[in-house]
Amino acid sequence: MLPDTTPVTPDAHTLALRLRFFRIDPGVLARLAALRPFAERTMSDIIDRFYEHLLSQPETRDYLDDPALVERLKRKQAAYFLGMFRGEIDLAYVQGRMKVGAVHAKLAVATQWYVGACTHYLQLIHEHLHRERASDEERRASFEAIERIMHFDVSLAIDAYIARHHESRLRHQEAIRELSTPVIRVHDRVLLLPLVGTIDSARAQRVMESVLVRIGEEHARVLLLDIAGVTVVDTQVADYLLKTTSAVRLLGAKTILTGISPQVARTVVELGVDLTSLYTRNTLSDGLDLALSLLDKQIRTIDQERV
Amino acid sequence: MSSIPILRIRGHLLVPVQPDLSDEVVNRLQNDVLEAIAGERDRSGGLLLDISGLQIVDTYVARVLADTASMAALMGRRTVLCGMRPEIAATLVQMGYLLEGVCTALDVDDGLDLLGLPR
Repeated sequence: MLPDTTPVTPDAHTLALRLRFFRIDPGVLARLAALRPFAERTMSDIIDRFYEHLLSQPETRDYLDDPALVERLKRKQAAYFLGMFRGEIDLAYVQGRMKVGAVHAKLAVATQWYVGACTHYLQLIHEHLHRERASDEERRASFEAIERIMHFDVSLAIDAYIARHHESRLRHQEAIRELSTPVIRVHDRVLLLPLVGTIDSARAQRVMESVLVRIGEEHARVLLLDIAGVTVVDTQVADYLLKTTSAVRLLGAKTILTGISPQVARTVVELGVDLTSLYTRNTLSDGLDLALSLLDKQIRTIDQERV
Repeated sequence: MSSIPILRIRGHLLVPVQPDLSDEVVNRLQNDVLEAIAGERDRSGGLLLDISGLQIVDTYVARVLADTASMAALMGRRTVLCGMRPEIAATLVQMGYLLEGVCTALDVDDGLDLLGLPR
């Protein structure tokens, strides 16, 4: 389960906090800048072997089926790699790293392959560092600096993954909201609201608001409220239906409650809910007939002789 | 203090209620409407209260408007409350103000239909 917070792009303050937590201080940044010649020397070997690894694994091979694409990615990878050895981390750097994460998320590269690939990357760098002429102490400090900035980068990429996930979840919620209140215009000045599923007070409120607005927009005189798909009709739901009906009446339109099954009729009467002030019908088609008659209209068979 | 005009259209009274009703103004409106009804010689026409301009209706204003409609009905005038905004309807119902017994219409056109005025 991903955290239920809205992801935010880091600002100067949160960036400083994050750098402190990763223990990336000016000393570490200076060390990374000093490693730049090493990076430039080893980069092509590291990147070549990195892609060899990716191409040898079935999980990542599928993303890299085009040799031209691999060549392009290698060039991008070089820029990414050298970016770590700039000796500076600013907001532009953060945005660039997050963009890399966002691209991987968009291509649906699972985080396990992303993080796993980064680990492999680190191993390759480690191998090269070992061949450098330096004291053990120096090598250890260099590797630590690289490790910190790589993990820092991975944390940014994961943030981008989460942001993308969050975005798609918001889209889904919006879609569900729309689906839960489909107000349909079935005839001139007649609207239909088919209610399906469970009705809680939050949904009831939303349904009422959207149906009232639509009545205003469509200039509707009759609202058909079909409850055939509602799983449970209890006192709370009945109360909500009465409230909606009253609000619709205040606008100057009438509500017809349809889809009342024998089960619902029994429950409503047994609960002692008074729905006698409403127009009610067993089926939606009966309700439509009533709606039309309220508008002084009717549906009838065309006289055969006149056709 | 501003007052609200009462228009006469073919024997019917039309009251376009403007935004920002203070308690004072709505009280005076009630008074003016009832006086206008009493002063009419032709009693057959109806009364239309057009509240489409109202953005906010508090409980006091809602009650005075509903009462005015009931009083006008007592004086033999068919009364229609026209053009309530959706958000106001939702709020009133949440507060338990159902305005039962008051006739409602979507707009002045529909209100005139209800009063039987041919289009």
